[in-house]
This record gives sequence, structure tokens and C-alpha cells, in this order.
Amino acid sequence: MLNLWMRTSALISLLVVVVMLGFLLQQSWPYWQHDGLNPLLSGDWYPYEHLFGLAAAIIGSFWAALIALAIAIPTGLAAAVMSTEILPGPWRSLMRSGMELLAGIPSVVYGLLGLWILLPLLQSNLHLLTGHNLLAAGLLLSVMVLPTIMVMTQDALCEVSSHQRDTAASLGMGWSARLWRVLLPQAWPGIRSGILLALGRALGETMAVMLVVGSMDRIPDPWYNLLAPAQTLTSRIGREIGESAFGSMHFSALMACGLLLALITITISMLAHIRSDKISVNRP
Amino acid sequence: MNERCAKTLTIMLALPALLLPAACLLYILFKGIPALDWAMLSGSSQDAAFGSISALWPQITGSLLLMLGACLLAAPVALGGTLFYALAANIRQRKALLGIMHLLVGIPPIVYGLCGLIVLVHMLHWGISLLTGMVILAVIILPMLLMNSVNAIKRIPSEKTAAARALGLSNGQLIRRVWLPAAWPALMTGLLLGMARALSETAPILFTATVFSGVSWPDSLFSPVTSLQTHLFYLAQEGANAEAVDIAWASAVILIILVTALSFGASALRNIRMNG
Repeated sequence: MLNLWMRTSALISLLVVVVMLGFLLQQSWPYWQHDGLNPLLSGDWYPYEHLFGLAAAIIGSFWAALIALAIAIPTGLAAAVMSTEILPGPWRSLMRSGMELLAGIPSVVYGLLGLWILLPLLQSNLHLLTGHNLLAAGLLLSVMVLPTIMVMTQDALCEVSSHQRDTAASLGMGWSARLWRVLLPQAWPGIRSGILLALGRALGETMAVMLVVGSMDRIPDPWYNLLAPAQTLTSRIGREIGESAFGSMHFSALMACGLLLALITITISMLAHIRSDKISVNRP
Repeated sequence: MNERCAKTLTIMLALPALLLPAACLLYILFKGIPALDWAMLSGSSQDAAFGSISALWPQITGSLLLMLGACLLAAPVALGGTLFYALAANIRQRKALLGIMHLLVGIPPIVYGLCGLIVLVHMLHWGISLLTGMVILAVIILPMLLMNSVNAIKRIPSEKTAAARALGLSNGQLIRRVWLPAAWPALMTGLLLGMARALSETAPILFTATVFSGVSWPDSLFSPVTSLQTHLFYLAQEGANAEAVDIAWASAVILIILVTALSFGASALRNIRMNG
């Protein structure tokens, strides 16, 4: 009885993966069969004219994630260093609770904040027609991934052995030299895992991005123009899945977006885990 | 760069991380609490057809139902998988099980929603229903629960298990008499965090389990529900209707209160574990 239960549970976990990826592939198959990999390079997405190019959404997703990381990495690292190396103990746990609070806010609430605070601010300060753009999505995502980076960095810094800290201090290294030459390099594997997890989270985040990104299928023109409405893979799925008929090419194309998203994020999270495992094994 | 300068620079960079949590929370409370009062007290479900001027009870119960269902489905599987890991699996199977869980954690929730849409809504003909939402949320929280309980079992001192084995306890006795008493706070912590997660996921149930309005209490497992998360999403976009946006803020406050209560419960249990 116990044995049956254990084995069934383990089997269910395995089945979930197989079923999910299998059906995503099966449903998106007509799409891949139709055009091969060409749509990955084309930016035209007009469901009513049967044009399903994914490039605009892919570029949008990466831009938003990139902005988020560009802001969240320095801030998160600085916050982690500050809490472990500068502040005394009680403050450390206070900052950590703050980050846990930030991580606990549901993404749709971030969407609400973005829609009613961030967008009006962007619109009036940058003199735009609409605040819906990739910059807004990136800014919102940076707040959402900040806790991941900060908490993982904090854990990694705490794990650096006091032996190494003492050695560095006895060599007469100053505070900043100790930080750059000893602490950060030693903690780097953990920090990198944190960054990769944050990247995966930023690429897969749906609700908040969907509310602020504007959902217009355009490749940014010129390529660094982040102030026009754009589209990400997740926001496209979220916006259009309701209006596509099951079995149609449109549906199939949206499933292809989902499959692509799943493959990208699986690769990222595997990279994060494999590397961190290897390094922790090698460490004495 | 001298020390003081470096420290100041670090603190400057870290400032957003210090201020943002408080700022976000205060702003949400500031916007939401006045609306909350009004929405909850004067609300009646007579205008539920549009859903903007109505009490939020149907949404709250819908969210809680989805959350409880997800936990009831996911917890036994997570526990079973953990026991498989601890009792029956060889090293290769252990690695495979944890690998699968890492893989599942990495997949964005909306992809779970898509798979649920294909398999549950269309292929099994469950339609947009409560049960579909429960199953999808259960799969989303499964890896969290499983990895948490594997860690909880690993943390039990191996002397305890060895002593129990030496006394001739069977697997069932070992689990009931030794592992559960030692690990329950950790298991409950994981469950509470899983509940908080199930409560805050929006994207996967948006097109598989919930409708905007017209439902106050689901008739069966196969009828759609309304939930706080998706309600908030729809109302947030009603830019022309100030009342709707007010209610969106109120929903946000309720949602945050529920989620925070669950995480506080989790950290309280964690403290029991540390002290005990």
C-alpha cells in the first residue's frame, strides 16, 4: 500500500513533465510544419492574415528581461553586501523580511501598481502618447526579480567561510579590496544562480508585463527604442489565448510561443542548477 | 577608493531595495483601505452582473477554493514522492526526481496554464472549471512542496532513523512514529508557502478556471469560478470607471493580507522548529 502510493507519486511527477512538453509539441506541430523555423526571424504577427512571426515577441521578452536585470543586479548585490557586511545583525533580518514581503506580493498586484503609478509617471515625464512600453515592463520586472537576486546573494555571502575573511583581513586588505577580491569571487556561483533564476522569472512573468507592455506586435524601431508599445511572448499568450479557437493555426502558433518559452526557461534553470551543484561538490 | 567612499556607494545603490518594500506596501494600503471599507460594507451582489459594485465575497471564496483544492491534490503526491525519495529510490532515481523538480520549477506558470488548456479543458472536456484550475495550481505548487519535504526529511538526524531501524520498526511505523513527529513543522511550513503561491498565481487560471462575473458560488467542480486574482486583473483595466479601479485596490489589499498571513504562519512554524 505504502509502496504503491510512493511509486504512483513519483510516476505522476515524471508524467507531468512528459505530458506537458508532449502536448505542447503536439499542438504546436502544425505551426512548425507550416513554416519551419522561418517565423523565428519574422516580425509580422497578423493572425487574420495567417502571418505568425515570433521575432517581435522574442525581442520584446529579452529587452524587458535585460532592463530588469540591468537594474536589479547592481541594486540586489549592493543590498546583499550592505545587509551582510555593513549592517549589524537585527537589520539584516529586517532587510530580509522586507525582501520576502516584496517577493510575496502577487504579480497581478505589481501589474496594478505599474498600470496606475508607473505608466502615468512615464507618460508625463517623458512626454509620451502612452506609457505602455518595454521600459515600463522592464522597470516593473526589476522590482519583481530584485528579491531573488538579493536573497541568493545574501545566502552566498553568508556561506563564505570566516577563515577566508580572517585571512583577508590579516593580509591588511581594505574593505573594498576584501569585497572585490575575496567575498564576491567566492560567492559568485551562488550569485550567478540567483541571476539566472531571476532571468528565468523575468522571461516567464505574465500578468504584470501584460498590463503595462502595450501588446503591440512591433519590433522596436530603431532597435533601442524602448518607449513604444511592444509585445512579449507571455503577454501575447495571455492576450490572445482567449480568442483563438482550439485546433486553429492561431492556437497552434500560441502553443509554439509557450513551447519556446518553456524550452528557454528550462535551459536557464538547468544552467543555474547544474553549475551550482558542480561547484558545491568541488568545494572542500 | 577608500573604505568610507565604497560603503557610501554601496548604500546608495542599495537604497531602492530598502525603500521599495515599504513604499509598495504603504501605497497599496493607502489606496486600498478606504476602498476596502466601502466595497465590503455597502456591497451587495445585486449588481454582480457587471461585477464592479459588489461585495468581494464570491471572489474570496473562489480563490480560497482553488487554493485548498490545489493543496489537497498536491500534498499527497508531494509526500508520496518524498517517501519514494527517502525509502525506495536508488541514487540514480533520486537524482532524476530532483532533476525533474528543478525542471518543473523553472517553467513559467503560464505554460502550465497552456498545457491545462489543451489537456484538461479541451481533451478531457472539463471545460473552464474549478477542477481544471485546482489541478493546474496543484501541478504548479507540486515541485515546491516536494523539494521542501525532501529537505525536511533530510534534516532529520540519521541516528534517529538508524535507532528506529535497530528497534525493528517497519517503514510505516518509522514514518508515523519518527519522521512525522520530527518533521511536521517543516512540512507545514512548505504547505503554507505552497498555499500562498497558489493564491497569488493569476496567469494560469485566467483562461482555464475563472470567469469575470455571473458566478457567486460554483455549483460543481465542473463549473467556472471567480477569483480575487483574476477579478483584480479585469478591474485594473477599467480605466474609465474609477469605482472599478478602487475595488481593484481593495482586492489587492485583501489578496496581500491573505498571502502575508500565510507567510507569517510559515515563519512562525519555522521558529518553532528552530527552538524545538
